[in-house]
Amino acid sequence: MLEALQYIYTPQVINGLSIGVAVILMALGLTIIFGLLDVINMSHGEFYAAGAFISVTLMAMGISFWLCLLLVPLLLIPIGFAMERLLIQKVFHYKDRHILTLLLTFGVAMVLEDAYKIIWGANPIKPSAPISGASEFLGVMFPNYRLFLMGFGAILIFCVWAVIYKTQIGAIVRAAAYDKEMSSSLGIPVMRVYALTFAFGIALAGLAGVLLAPIYSVFPTMGRDFILMAFSVVIVGGLGSIKGAVVAGLLLTQLQSISSLFISPVWSDPLVFSVMVLVLMFKPAGLYGGMKNA
Amino acid sequence: MLNTKARAIRLVELVLLGSAAALFIVGTYLGDTFFLRLATESLIFGGLALSVDLLLGVVGLLSLGQALYFGFGAYLSALILKELASSFALAILIVTIASAILGWVASFIALRSKGVYFALITFGLAQVAAKVVYNTRSLGASDGMMGVPILQIWTPFGLIDTSHPGIFFLICLLTISILYGILKYFLSTPTGSLWLAIQSNENRLAYIGYKSKGPKQVAFILAAVVAAVSGALYPMLRGFVSPELMFFSVSGNAVVTVVLGGVGTLIGPILGSVLLTSFKSVIGTWTSHHHIVIGLIFVAIVISAPKGLIGLIVTRMNKVDAKKEEGKHE
Amino acid sequence: MNNAHSIILEAKGLSKRFGGLIAVDEVSIAVQKLGVTSIIGPNGAGKSTLFNLLSGTFLPDNGAVHIDGVDVTRLSPEGRLFCGMARSFQITNLFFDLTVMDNLRIASQVLEPRSHLYLPLGKSEIALKRANELLEEFGLEESRDQLAGALSHGQQRRLEIAVTLATKPKLLLLDEPTQGMSQVDTHETADLIKRVGLNTTVLLIEHDVDLVMDLSKTVFVMAQGRKLAEGTPAEVRKNPLVQAAYFGEELA
Repeated sequence: MLEALQYIYTPQVINGLSIGVAVILMALGLTIIFGLLDVINMSHGEFYAAGAFISVTLMAMGISFWLCLLLVPLLLIPIGFAMERLLIQKVFHYKDRHILTLLLTFGVAMVLEDAYKIIWGANPIKPSAPISGASEFLGVMFPNYRLFLMGFGAILIFCVWAVIYKTQIGAIVRAAAYDKEMSSSLGIPVMRVYALTFAFGIALAGLAGVLLAPIYSVFPTMGRDFILMAFSVVIVGGLGSIKGAVVAGLLLTQLQSISSLFISPVWSDPLVFSVMVLVLMFKPAGLYGGMKNA
Repeated sequence: MLNTKARAIRLVELVLLGSAAALFIVGTYLGDTFFLRLATESLIFGGLALSVDLLLGVVGLLSLGQALYFGFGAYLSALILKELASSFALAILIVTIASAILGWVASFIALRSKGVYFALITFGLAQVAAKVVYNTRSLGASDGMMGVPILQIWTPFGLIDTSHPGIFFLICLLTISILYGILKYFLSTPTGSLWLAIQSNENRLAYIGYKSKGPKQVAFILAAVVAAVSGALYPMLRGFVSPELMFFSVSGNAVVTVVLGGVGTLIGPILGSVLLTSFKSVIGTWTSHHHIVIGLIFVAIVISAPKGLIGLIVTRMNKVDAKKEEGKHE
Repeated sequence: MNNAHSIILEAKGLSKRFGGLIAVDEVSIAVQKLGVTSIIGPNGAGKSTLFNLLSGTFLPDNGAVHIDGVDVTRLSPEGRLFCGMARSFQITNLFFDLTVMDNLRIASQVLEPRSHLYLPLGKSEIALKRANELLEEFGLEESRDQLAGALSHGQQRRLEIAVTLATKPKLLLLDEPTQGMSQVDTHETADLIKRVGLNTTVLLIEHDVDLVMDLSKTVFVMAQGRKLAEGTPAEVRKNPLVQAAYFGEELA
């Protein structure tokens, strides 16, 4: 029994954790964008893909993986800023802006996905993991890269939380989310804050893309495949809640991971989706609805 | 001002009907197959777009998964035609009933939520269904099902062969027109008013005596049936069905079509479908990357003309009216 | 004097809290049939919350609501409409994208049998007739084809009341009906409320104290979630607790 725990479940748990941190990073971006901007970013998955594709190209040019981790978010930030400023803010003043921004970001997603196909082709690219080899952990062998993912991801998540809740910038962002008019009258450049927040959110998605590329490989529809999982996490955790994104991210990836022991992988997505639907039906605010509630 | 919108809709209806008649006559006379089939396909996907518009433009619910019912109708129709009987009426009848039941069941899941959540639930439902179908051996898995027989449709004029592109075009035109007519009828009833009221201010509805759930459910089921019946026509045209019919791109394209034509106008989606299908066909001769062009057009429309083509027509009509008023006063 | 059979709306021990805030604290009021009864009180007294509890917008934590002796405490707003209670809103809550005529017609639709929902509009004759009546009564005929969202504030407030009256309720809850209205409009609305009060029970929340004193049969005063005083306008005006609650504001 103990052996089963060790040799069968533990690997799944650890694998789930390593995927989980990347999923959480992506969900964090999504939930922050919703919490502050009230925008459902249907193109979020495409920025995840963007991160992966850009890192693949950079690495092909000889740039190290580690440098990519830094460069990709830096490259995505101005793109996100531009998109928010030039596109999203154009439809913001309409009464039905929720649907319009949804449609808009959906359109952007469409464009991006096809762009990836054009630029990089439809075939999957699998970059090699920057850390090779395996180590023993709790008596089982794990690829080092996965162990690294867990650790690095956890640090990143902690950093995001710290930035939002412990820094002045984070306070400004939260203030702008809480009361736009008041913040504006206090001299906070609300529009710029919005654009930066959006940029920050998609940069996180891109980062997740870089991190998961060696595991899931890179192909044009990877964004769309992943977005349901990201939205499920955000919804189960509560739109706008960081704590929710973390908890739900861990829960759902563990669910996916452990369930793959019992059911064919085809059914793991429907399973996660069913959890999301159940949460939406019975507790629509999710586990911790609202950014104001941390 | 509302009169203008009604006039614009009437105008587009007439133009489309006229074009259809012209196409049929000219096409049949010249023995054309390509354009008639293209037009038929645009009608079929126009029906799907109709169902999206009913939910989005009238009730205010964005469904990102109508392809679920479209594909359901297509697969069911193919199965009936292959295994049961090669009968148009039977296929349509069974699809209507089955999709109404499916819509009714799905409404209990989807209607628990609104706005963004509704969009995500419908998105997810379609993704899950598509994945299930994709992996189901008995439905042909990723290859789908082929070999749907050519229909012989009974009419008072004798048996008609649907392999005749002109005739089948007319049949589809008739079917989609009936669906359109049904939706327009509902819009002209108090139920239609309740739908518009829900879109405008759902909260107030209870205080004038109605739970919003009832009318929403009616719309949801109607949308499912419209999408499914449209889908049922697909295997009759192409002779096969595949899981791609349930993929998100189909739902997504339908939404683009609706926004392009004009949300909430019902005829707009049909117009949008005609234009988009033609457009795809034209672009398709150069490159298979029509998505990026369509996506760019879509983004442009959402930003600069969110009321779509019919909205542009209405604006134009208003300007012309204003000029006429000025002219009168001189 | 307080004949039980003449009480149309009764709240017993209603309480509602939001997190740490107790908005309504053990409030009991009994509203007599016919005439105008008003609820007044300083800001934050809990008047709107009380209204929301009475109309079914919120469910109380404690207490009960009875309409004509029937327990409606947990009944939905549309259920209460069928018990004869209709309410208007302080922040105009119309169907802004629909025309004035459509607003009134939809508000009157419940007067029709359910099957008429699926028949052409023309069949709903009762609703159409009622809508036309209301257009005339509220002086909105000229605007009948205008979108509700395009009306002036005063017109919108009038339409708000008209919509509430559509089903000829026996119990009308008006939440600050003259909010933001001009003097002229306020005066007209006051006359209207007086007229309506002749054969309907009107329960009013108002900030315009003069209006309240002029119109009402009975006045309830709330402060800090509690019922502070009740009585005729004259009695309430003299009440030292009430004067203190308004803190120096001239009631006399």
